[in-house]
Amino acid sequence: MNESIMPFAIFFASIFTGNILLTNYLGMCSFLSVSKELKTSLGLGAAVIFVMATTTPLNWLVYRYLLIPFGLDYLRFIAFIIVIAAFVQLTEMVIERYSEPLYQSLGIFLPLITVNCAILGASLFMVIREYTLFTSFLFGLGSGIGWFIAIIAMAGIRQKLKNAKVPPGLEGPGITLVIAGFMAMAFMGFSGMIALS
Amino acid sequence: MKKKDTFYHKRLYPLVFMVSTTVFCILVTSGLYLTTLDKAEANELSFTRRAILDAGGLQYENTTAGIEKTYTDSIEVEKGYYIANGTEGKRFIIPVQGPGLWGTIAIMVGFEEDLKTFAGLAIVSQNETPGLGARIEEPWFTAQFKGKQPPFTLVEEGTSALANEVDAITGATRTSEYFRNLVNRSAADAQRIIRGE
Amino acid sequence: MAKKLMKKTFMEPLGKNNPVFVQILGICSTLAVTNKLQNTMVMTLGVMFTTALSSWTISLLRNHIPSRIRMMVETMVIATYVIIVDIVLKAYYPEMWKQLGPYVGLIITNCIVMGRIEAFALQNKPMLSLVDGLASGLGYAYVLLVIAFVRELLGTGSLWGYRILGSWWTNWSIMIMPPGGFFVLAIFIWVIRETIMKEAK
Repeated sequence: MNESIMPFAIFFASIFTGNILLTNYLGMCSFLSVSKELKTSLGLGAAVIFVMATTTPLNWLVYRYLLIPFGLDYLRFIAFIIVIAAFVQLTEMVIERYSEPLYQSLGIFLPLITVNCAILGASLFMVIREYTLFTSFLFGLGSGIGWFIAIIAMAGIRQKLKNAKVPPGLEGPGITLVIAGFMAMAFMGFSGMIALS
Repeated sequence: MKKKDTFYHKRLYPLVFMVSTTVFCILVTSGLYLTTLDKAEANELSFTRRAILDAGGLQYENTTAGIEKTYTDSIEVEKGYYIANGTEGKRFIIPVQGPGLWGTIAIMVGFEEDLKTFAGLAIVSQNETPGLGARIEEPWFTAQFKGKQPPFTLVEEGTSALANEVDAITGATRTSEYFRNLVNRSAADAQRIIRGE
Repeated sequence: MAKKLMKKTFMEPLGKNNPVFVQILGICSTLAVTNKLQNTMVMTLGVMFTTALSSWTISLLRNHIPSRIRMMVETMVIATYVIIVDIVLKAYYPEMWKQLGPYVGLIITNCIVMGRIEAFALQNKPMLSLVDGLASGLGYAYVLLVIAFVRELLGTGSLWGYRILGSWWTNWSIMIMPPGGFFVLAIFIWVIRETIMKEAK
């Protein structure tokens, strides 16, 4: 009996135990600056889920059917970043044209996303781990959800923290990093959740 | 210099600029890629050969030429497996692969003539977390299988005492479990491939 | 005068304008590999190379880049240098290349590289931009090397892969796990802000 990589195990692992933010530190820059406010965190988090779940399989297609056949896989960094940038630009234009409220809540965060390392990171991980199209999609979606959960949890904690007394040197990024550390420990506790046969 | 608001400056120039930058960048990287292609492929081959030598428990000089020499001198390639003719007798080496936490783990397993006792083990490729699961590549981890017989049980890092116990890696329980399943399966694989059973 | 400016450009990112502990930029791509000193060294060298040379290149082109496609040109230049790092590592240090995996590619989205280009290279001369990029890379490198030093030493009792502490040492496994990176960086920022930064004020 051969085991195989279980797509759903990867989906759950990428949300909890292998959270792309808390275990791979990807997307830290926007995480640290945006998590000050719950409302903006929600918007950015939702945008990340959407972009990651779509660009990861999109990049899979580009990699598998464009780069590999022509032996251009060394150009994948450029190809992926172009795909991500173009996709983000396109989505922004579509949303702006058709839905004003959606643009106000989601669209304004889209430009921030091109430079979010987590998006490119998910695509690069997908290539190096040789996922299938379906697994790539679940991995992208799971990583996005994981990122979303991490940022809203952090935003909630930071709002409570506003009235707390923090040592002056630790204010701002310092205390955020400490909290992120504790969150990472808590997320590691999920590792017993997916039982392996 | 004042920019003129002409068709050339507004439309054509940015396009030409972008295209020429792209072409230039791709030419540079392609040139570099092609000049190092042979070397990269040689490295890849050398990696696999070194893994076969390690699994067969052979001594060799750790350079590309050294690996090449020992490989041609003492390895026989059979269908689906390799035979190592070392100073300590004949050994059988089979490639095994299976799922890890994040992607496929490929290893070479060397057996003594009884096809039960491990003569050595080496990692060909893996995608586990750097510093955690990826520590399966460290010599102490692979060396502990030598001279033992599967099935193995995992114990806490640094505490293995019995003949079928191996140390797991702290912080990488999941990877250790997958790896255990992989090596436990390998003896049956060896019987099947080499004896045709 | 020019020499003084050069020196100032070089010194600022190392101290009071450090990209990591003052601006909290660019920790994404490298923090993940700081559980090993050797990997950190290679990664930070890659970042240094990319920041310095892409700043220099963009500065050379700064009067010719049409402003509408500025970002795309910058990304293209950065990606090219990162691919060069990737190809060189793959050909000459294949084992290191395997260990670093996707993190080399993530240098592209490292905020420091783009940040220095936008904030400095677009307004300054090529040589000065090169120095600025190099110094920012250095300022980044030493902070991460300190973090890697602490994490590897406490987490595995070794440095550069060699066992330093004797068998009496119990490994703090948490240090090489992800939370350790957050804690060490936070403590580092705390110490710096309480001591050096306070004096500067």
